[in-house]
Amino acid sequence: MPSDIRSFFGGKPSSAPAETPKPTATKTKGRGRPRKIVEDDDDDDEVEEVKPAKKATPKKKQPEPEPTLEETTADDFFGKGSKPKRSEAVRPKTRSKPAAEETPKKAVNGKKAETETNGGRSSGRKKKDTSYVELDDDDFPDDDNDVMDADGAADNFKSDAKVGRRAGDDYKEGSDDDDDKPLVPKRAERSGKQKTLKDHDQDDFKPDTDIDMKDTNMDDDFLVPDDDEEIVEDKPAKKAPAKASKKRKSVALEEDEDEDDLEMDDVKPAAKKRAAPKKSKKEPVQDSAEIQAIFDSIPTIEPPPPPPKSGEEGEKPKFKFGGQHANSAAPVAAIDMSELPQGQDNCLAGLTFVFTGQMGRLGREQGQSLVKQYGGKVTTAPSKKTSYVVLGEDAGPKKLATIQQHSLKVINEEGLFELIKRLPANGGDSAAADKNAEKLAKEADNIRKAAEEMDKQERAQLAAAKPKPKPQASTNGQSANGQSTSQQSSKGKEAAAAAGPDTRLWTVRYAPTQLTQICGNKSQVDKLARWLRAFPKNQRTGFKMGGADGSGTHRAIIIHGPPGIGKTTAAHLVAKLEGYDIVESNASDTRSKKLVETGLKGVLSTTSLMGYFAADNSSVDASKKKLVLIMDEVDGMSAGDRGGVGALAAVCKKSQIPMILICNDRKLPKMKPFDYVTYDLPFRRPTTDMIRSRISTIAFREGLKIPPNVINALIEGSGADIRQVVNMISTAKIDSQTLSFEEGKDMSKAWEKHIVLKPWDMVAKILGGGLFNPAAHSTLNEKQELYFNDHEFAPLMLQENYLGTNPARTNKFNDNPRRKRLATLDLVSKAADSISDGDLVDRMIHGSQQQWGLMPTHAMFSFVRPASYIYGSLAGHGQTRFTAWLGKNSSQSKMVRIVKEIQGHMRLRVSADRHEVRQTYLPLLFERLVRALEREGKEAVPEIIALMDSYFLTREDWEGILELGVGEAGMEGVKIESQAKATFTRLYNQQSHPLPFMKASQVLNPKRAPAKERPDLEEAQEESEEEAVDAAEAVADDDEDVDLSKDKYVKQPKKRKAAAAGGAKAGAASKKARKGKAKVGVDDEDDEGEGEEEVKPKAGAKGKGKGRAKK
Amino acid sequence: MALLVDKHRPRTLDTLTYHPDLSDRLRSLAASGDFPHLLIYGPSGAGKKTRITATLRALYGPGVEKIKIDSRVFQTSSNRKLEFNIVSSNYHLEITPSDVGNYDRVVVQDLLKEVAQTQQVDLAAKQRFKVVVINEADHLTRDAQAALRRTMEKYSPNLRLILLANSTSNIIAPIRSRCLLVRVAAPTEEEIAVVLAKVGRKEGYKGCEPLEQRIAKESGRNLRRALLMFEAVHAQNDNVTEKTPIPPPDWEALIEVIAKEIIEERSPARILQARAKLYDLLTHCIPATTILKTLTFKLMPKIDDAIKAEIVKWSAFYEHRIRMGSKVIFHLEAFVAKFMRIYEGHLTGMDMDWDD
Repeated sequence: MPSDIRSFFGGKPSSAPAETPKPTATKTKGRGRPRKIVEDDDDDDEVEEVKPAKKATPKKKQPEPEPTLEETTADDFFGKGSKPKRSEAVRPKTRSKPAAEETPKKAVNGKKAETETNGGRSSGRKKKDTSYVELDDDDFPDDDNDVMDADGAADNFKSDAKVGRRAGDDYKEGSDDDDDKPLVPKRAERSGKQKTLKDHDQDDFKPDTDIDMKDTNMDDDFLVPDDDEEIVEDKPAKKAPAKASKKRKSVALEEDEDEDDLEMDDVKPAAKKRAAPKKSKKEPVQDSAEIQAIFDSIPTIEPPPPPPKSGEEGEKPKFKFGGQHANSAAPVAAIDMSELPQGQDNCLAGLTFVFTGQMGRLGREQGQSLVKQYGGKVTTAPSKKTSYVVLGEDAGPKKLATIQQHSLKVINEEGLFELIKRLPANGGDSAAADKNAEKLAKEADNIRKAAEEMDKQERAQLAAAKPKPKPQASTNGQSANGQSTSQQSSKGKEAAAAAGPDTRLWTVRYAPTQLTQICGNKSQVDKLARWLRAFPKNQRTGFKMGGADGSGTHRAIIIHGPPGIGKTTAAHLVAKLEGYDIVESNASDTRSKKLVETGLKGVLSTTSLMGYFAADNSSVDASKKKLVLIMDEVDGMSAGDRGGVGALAAVCKKSQIPMILICNDRKLPKMKPFDYVTYDLPFRRPTTDMIRSRISTIAFREGLKIPPNVINALIEGSGADIRQVVNMISTAKIDSQTLSFEEGKDMSKAWEKHIVLKPWDMVAKILGGGLFNPAAHSTLNEKQELYFNDHEFAPLMLQENYLGTNPARTNKFNDNPRRKRLATLDLVSKAADSISDGDLVDRMIHGSQQQWGLMPTHAMFSFVRPASYIYGSLAGHGQTRFTAWLGKNSSQSKMVRIVKEIQGHMRLRVSADRHEVRQTYLPLLFERLVRALEREGKEAVPEIIALMDSYFLTREDWEGILELGVGEAGMEGVKIESQAKATFTRLYNQQSHPLPFMKASQVLNPKRAPAKERPDLEEAQEESEEEAVDAAEAVADDDEDVDLSKDKYVKQPKKRKAAAAGGAKAGAASKKARKGKAKVGVDDEDDEGEGEEEVKPKAGAKGKGKGRAKK
Repeated sequence: MALLVDKHRPRTLDTLTYHPDLSDRLRSLAASGDFPHLLIYGPSGAGKKTRITATLRALYGPGVEKIKIDSRVFQTSSNRKLEFNIVSSNYHLEITPSDVGNYDRVVVQDLLKEVAQTQQVDLAAKQRFKVVVINEADHLTRDAQAALRRTMEKYSPNLRLILLANSTSNIIAPIRSRCLLVRVAAPTEEEIAVVLAKVGRKEGYKGCEPLEQRIAKESGRNLRRALLMFEAVHAQNDNVTEKTPIPPPDWEALIEVIAKEIIEERSPARILQARAKLYDLLTHCIPATTILKTLTFKLMPKIDDAIKAEIVKWSAFYEHRIRMGSKVIFHLEAFVAKFMRIYEGHLTGMDMDWDD
């Protein structure tokens, strides 16, 4: 059934637009009007429509209903209502019903509410009718404001509002669930019978709410806004011309009524004022004279025309990327925090702002924070719903176009300040503020209901836990909460106190117990539930059928998303609700390959005993035979869990029980094994509004007073991490009962999760992010912090990219290109100098001195200071490049190695060090070895090989020489015929060549196989001696025969054999053999050489074998 | 068929062609039997190594020319293995500690002590001591130089050191005071020309004196370079004349291109292009100081006299930084930027005043 409810609610959004115009129409003064407004808001908002409807009904008493209208509305209303009824009826049974029943009995307030409600019902009905009439007529645009004043004054959460809570809960659930919106309305219309029934119900219940509200200040409660979003949307609607037809209205009304019906069915006492009437909202709501005067007096400015979109394509980039786009305005002195205007609390309530361009004095973030502080809403892109656009320099062309299109009000900072200074608290009685207030009220209502619901549940649990003790006894105890903002909450606490203080963390205490309490990710949760439900079936079909969403072929599902958004909670809850017994494994368990394989074996093919036995007389739940394995924190499987991921993935392929894996980052390479074997279920961060109502509920229950904008700030500051927000308010509760905007901001700042910027982002931020704009108010320290995001890459990345800006500081020379060019060069030079300075500091840090204390200095010189010169738009210079230094450095070290090798080989002939070899020999060798081959082809090969041999150069050295050419002699410039090269290679390999020496690392490990016989050392020595002499002579005499004689000694095949012999002697001590000296064939006098080697401990690897190896 | 420069290298003190005073001194030192530690310094291509080889031959006889290369593995305190090549004969060792970079101290300590603690084994040897030639002594780290100090005194009966350096500036005073300093000046252009002519005769090249003069001038008084250029010219041209172009080395040609480019256009984009080329040079093992020096000299003829002094000043400034710093490209680039800034300012005739 829950799905039905969702679908039902889903249908509303479409109808919403029609209803918007209502608020303007209401003429009646007093509370009734505001409520109407509220209704309008609700209609606009898909989720929370239900509540407003309730509220509005009672208030619309005054105008006389038009019979026809009423009837139609009623019919529609009831018809629609029938559907919701069903769905809700089902729900209450499972979740909330028991609680609902209990509340009235226990709570004294509840009783009162009931009585009151009864009295009021009839009147409420009438009021509704009147409201419809009003809507139709659209006569009373101005009245709303008056009403709003009254409401606005009262907008505090009051504890009295018990009645409302019930209904609120139901509504919330409904709204949360709404997946399929379009379906619902149809069904509702069809069911005619139920309409009539509902009519009666409505009559009875609605009046009650009205009475209550009037008598007990219930209005105040309702004023707390449900959804900020709604508020925003409403505004634009008001301004827009009235388009809505009556038909639309009626539909909307019906929907609202339906919702009302639902509530009533479930919980009788929960009658609320519903905005049954939906007026044609499109007519602009008019603000009261004073407010209007204020609005009018705000200086608006003329937005620059958006750049032409077509026709001048060529020029467009210029406009975009040129100096204009950068901060071309000479920055005015930055504004001081103390200069910020002080306004009344919440004075911007209901207004929506868009900031665009570079503010002259006010940083954009600062401005946005200012608006939020005073209850306004900030969106990023202008739309027709935007109340004001705060325009700075160089606004984006797209935004300008939108502004023009919707002819939005455009102000500058001064205008914003004026607004703040002059608007009365809570936005006065302006239409926007009214709507806002209504929403607030609705939200508060919902919150109260939710809190009440929680209380009930808690009590129910308590009662279940100890059936004997009387739950009422607790009322005698002291209320744990000194302030006791609400009787209800204090009651709940007393109950809790009776059971002993609740020591659970708030995150545990307020963990969702119903699917509807999970914030956001509804469809994902549903998918999960569907998959779990279908698992047995899929198991029977052998996981062949994909099902609607393709999840049917998977035995495992992987949930991934950022922390704190309820992944684990959702998995547990769904599993519980689907009747599964849970086996969980998380990062606190070792999950290595072995343990996964063995440990899970016992789980995968078993059923739960929970279905057979139960403790403490509690009834056996026969359905609890199913097991689900929840593997939490899968990406936490780390070094200690070697092979765990692979093993787990293998298990996923053949598991006989459903497995739910949970991780934060699905994209990690180590999560690769889960591709294809699991069904991906991404969880996203819920929106602020989704979280806020839940947080408000918790805060309310705990008697903590937190205004919605503070909660917003907390949520945004934590990155929609519900758990963190709950922890934050839990902390706040310790020492205070309220949380102001500033406190909240400080808190979320203190709790801020430090997000480490990627090197690219760092550079983009420091160079192009406007950090140096005087209005940015970023301190030196903040800029330095950027560097510490990654202190190794920051300077490198900056150096790579600092030439890619249009320096903002040259913008003042825009009229003089030559001057500008000089200025640019001047800045670039200064920046380069600073980078150079930074390198000196870097040397002190990373060099032998290791003065790590200089890091901040390095940050300044290598990062902040260069950027301070050449910051500016990054446009037109392509993407931020990754630093080339690393790559160049490594290829440099490779080249250095090659040069060293070459120089090492040439060393017997050449006295030059390696720099000299590179700079003087290599150009000539390049000419003689490479160019010759290129020019003359294979004819040159013998000569080339001869030259190489005379310098002991190897084939690899030849490649090295080729590679070492630069500029003209670069590798790309050399085109050697493949045939010539092949000939060269072939000839080279055919011949044997003198080896200057063998590097220890090049000696292969001797094979174990070689003969055990020790070579005849005497012979070897003799031989080598002779050869050595020969070689020496050869060298001394510059004899051309050298080659030949060397060839004889240093044949490749021999080398291997000799090495083997050496190995044999060394007794398979291959490692030692490596250490041993490699000898040159040339002038080796073996006697001494070998003797020496044997003496040396390190060369213990039987140098003799080595020595021979050479030959 | 080795290259000329190696083929015709003088092997004895008597055959050395220039610096006759120095040859005499070395000869008498070798004959004295009381051979001191030597610190031989001078620009590259001046003949330092050649003179040492000749001196060693005078000390020990032709046996010293029978050299071999050993590869030794040293282990640092951090258990890193260093492979190190040693050129040695029976009588002497030749090492280049700067091959192992910052670990040269390990090599100096281990190897020198090892050598110094053993006496000359060959009883037939003319000298009781062995000689260790240390190449690139000016690239020794401070630590390695400090490690040398005591060794030089303590083991002097068994060991003589010959340090080879381009300049003594990087060698700590205690070492300098323990050595006999021998300066090998670069040959004059005339001397080079004479050598070239002599080699040319031996090779049977047709002499062309003006060309030899030009090569001598081009070589920057580096005899090695002069000989290699000489050979390159003759390898590419069968008939050389006065006008025969002398091909510049690849890297010098590239630096010339850079110089031309940054004169041509002064802009950040151009600096980026220059950076790419500088990177190219660096990765291909051209030392940053060489690049900077060459670049400066290539720029000089292209700029106005008025700013030459300033450019040279900045060139020296950044060369110092290259030595002090670690990422040389930063300093090279800063020089390029600075040059552009000065040159542009000179061209436009204005100076940057940010206040207006």
